[in-house]
Amino acid sequence: MSAVLGSGAVVLGLVASLLGIVTIGFGLRRRDTRLLSAGRTYAWVVLAAALMATGAMELALLRHDFTLKYVADNGSRSTPLLFTTTGMWSALEGSILLWALVLSGYLTVMVRHFRDRVADPLVGWATLTVFVVSAFFFGLMAGPANPFRLVSGATPSDGPGPNPLLQNHPLVAFHPPLLYLGYVGFTIPFAFAVAALVTGRLGEGWLVETRRWTLFAWGFLTLGIVLGAWWSYEVLGWGGYWAWDPVENASFIPWLTATAYVHSVMVQERRGMLRIWNLSLLLATFSLTILGTFLTRSGVLDSVHAFTESTIGPLILGFFGLIVAVSIVLIGWRADRLRSPGTIDSPASREGAFLANNVLFAAFAFIVLLGTVFPLLAEAINGDRISVGGPYFNRMTGPVGFTLLFLMAIAPALPWRKASGELLSKRLIWPAWSAAGVVALCALAGLRGFVPLLAFALGGFAGGAAVRQLVLSARRQGWRGLVGRANGGMIVHLGVVLVAVAFAASHAYAHSKEFTLRPGQSAELAGHHVTYLDTRTEQQRNKTSISARVRVDGGKVYAPALQRFPFATQAIGSPSVKTGWRDDVYLTLVSAPDATTGETTAVIGVLIQPMMMWLWLGGGLMGVGTFLAAWPGRRRRLPTAPASEPVQELAGVRS
Amino acid sequence: MTSPIDARDLPTRRRTGVWVAVVIATVMVAFVAVLATRPSAADRQAESPLLGRPAPALIGTAVDGSKVDVSSLRGKFVLVNFFATWCVPCLQEHPELVRFAQRHQASGDATVVGVVFNDSMSSVRKYVSDKGVIWPVVSDPGGNIAFDYGVRGPPESFLIDRAGNVVSKIIGTVRADALDRLISQAKARGL
Repeated sequence: MSAVLGSGAVVLGLVASLLGIVTIGFGLRRRDTRLLSAGRTYAWVVLAAALMATGAMELALLRHDFTLKYVADNGSRSTPLLFTTTGMWSALEGSILLWALVLSGYLTVMVRHFRDRVADPLVGWATLTVFVVSAFFFGLMAGPANPFRLVSGATPSDGPGPNPLLQNHPLVAFHPPLLYLGYVGFTIPFAFAVAALVTGRLGEGWLVETRRWTLFAWGFLTLGIVLGAWWSYEVLGWGGYWAWDPVENASFIPWLTATAYVHSVMVQERRGMLRIWNLSLLLATFSLTILGTFLTRSGVLDSVHAFTESTIGPLILGFFGLIVAVSIVLIGWRADRLRSPGTIDSPASREGAFLANNVLFAAFAFIVLLGTVFPLLAEAINGDRISVGGPYFNRMTGPVGFTLLFLMAIAPALPWRKASGELLSKRLIWPAWSAAGVVALCALAGLRGFVPLLAFALGGFAGGAAVRQLVLSARRQGWRGLVGRANGGMIVHLGVVLVAVAFAASHAYAHSKEFTLRPGQSAELAGHHVTYLDTRTEQQRNKTSISARVRVDGGKVYAPALQRFPFATQAIGSPSVKTGWRDDVYLTLVSAPDATTGETTAVIGVLIQPMMMWLWLGGGLMGVGTFLAAWPGRRRRLPTAPASEPVQELAGVRS
Repeated sequence: MTSPIDARDLPTRRRTGVWVAVVIATVMVAFVAVLATRPSAADRQAESPLLGRPAPALIGTAVDGSKVDVSSLRGKFVLVNFFATWCVPCLQEHPELVRFAQRHQASGDATVVGVVFNDSMSSVRKYVSDKGVIWPVVSDPGGNIAFDYGVRGPPESFLIDRAGNVVSKIIGTVRADALDRLISQAKARGL
């Protein structure tokens, strides 16, 4: 039943996307509004198809319909309801389905949002582009990544359940969908960039149209990445949250280029400059999300998160090639129209700072991309197998990160066009004192080390600048001083400062040790006291867990555990964390007492991770800030309509 | 176009744009080509002087005390897997080995033989019983077997065909699917 419904829905989605492309294509060619408007209604069909397919998949998972290969591979009768539901995105085919669902959601919202402007070729081309992307993803499902394939041979009576790592923390329900909302969200600005290039309407109008779309996608991607880090911290048991793993990098690289875009687009809006650059950033961001999809799903890279291999790799790579080719051809074709009407007057200006910011973000993205694909390149060139690890990324990106923090402090104080030294010193005095204060406090608290103190100082500086900005605008405009792009942006900056400071602290001041303890025995690490009490074995429906009870600092008892799932040979450690403002006590059960040998000692891993809570708070603050930035602020003036915009077309367009 | 374009530098600029586009396009084509020609991480095989030659003798005592002789397994594909309990990638590949062994257990056309690499027998015994290792695990006290096979560090695996010749060497973790592909490729070549 599910298989028929699901496969039917996938085919329906594919056909509707293709019809959408054809109808809108003809409509654009013949300038026929009826066709354009008919084409956009296919968006609703695509959404209905995606919803139907998702419904069929969830139904099959919940009813343990093991005739479906996907359910037989990723479902199990003993898996709790939550993880059965999230099973939809715990393997390759289902994750493509989630992608298609999110994309069709964005598509319909976009079609609805621009419903009054059906006749506008810009909107037509953008819709067409999104249909192409959705046709590709539905096509993947109709072909090699079919989530509704049936099992060959006898129907199994039970399945192995999702990967054990994907069934022991509720964050699994939030991290992938948010990440996809971010990833897929960039399709809309990408579509508008393509549309602007095709129609030649390279004025700033479409930028304003897509600003909020970009912001939302960026915000979701940010939250998705932070939640991913949190999940990895809470689940994987190695005490870290970011490992520069190829799959993590695959989400981080588009984030970097999107961040660059969110900044440099302001230069374009205000001064009409950097157009090629901005378009390139948007096109690159979307291409990089597809490249990330390729890297994680084709099996070319070794990674803990990589999906099992499949044959869809070449198809995704082909799609990536197509996008890149279209982007380069379009930009090359329109390069003459993209000339800036102005130049940057002084490097000590807001636009100068944004330019520097962009160069740094681009360098950052390049460093991470290079590190991620370097093993492949090296192997292609001389056959060596090389792995690029944390030290490369930390060493290379560290200086870029510091410079970005520094810019983050200076840039909000810089005026557009040109700054005078006097003005700057007046505006920066407060943040500078905040930096000095932070360093003095840290030094008094006994913190040492050049790198972390530099990070704290720059954090204090940038945080001071953001707070100063917020205080000034709140004083002027009341609560409205906290919304709008500039002010919301400052709140995002505060979040970034928290993340950066926590990152530096956890790299510099973490302590970890493994203790072999008998029941009742205690150990001490970095001022924290842990006492091992005993172990308990618990037989649950879908797993057996052995947990050690450990009292931390004479207070609450924590229970790091080892869990064993049926069908999985490896025990999964699940850490237990005492969270605090200053630091976390992160406990893992490395090895449990062995009843068969009469061994009573347990090996407990203790890790003191400073300031972790600040990292999560910073991530949350970035999300809140993005939301506030998307909130309509006080409109000071109409978006600029610079000289390059064809006036006659616009007159009929603006509502 | 209502923008006041400076006629003098338009042609040069346009050409710059095209050149930049061409350069970027070339780089991207090369990049895509490299990605397209990469074998799957799991299929990557290493060079070894043993490839295509008869596998070195592998006779030893299994952890459970029984005698193991790989030459008695002629007629089956044998995956000789060098591992240690201290080696993290070995732990990672273990579920894949289990999957591979289970798949071929019924048909009996392929099997796994584990060889301990530089490890204490007590931890290997615990590993074997904890992890449910269903294939023979041979101890290699003096490291002679590892030396014969040219093993530098675990995990390294060698696939031996039905006639007892080494078909491929895999450095790093193996994947059950990739191993099956290697076997079907070997069968296709008539090995």
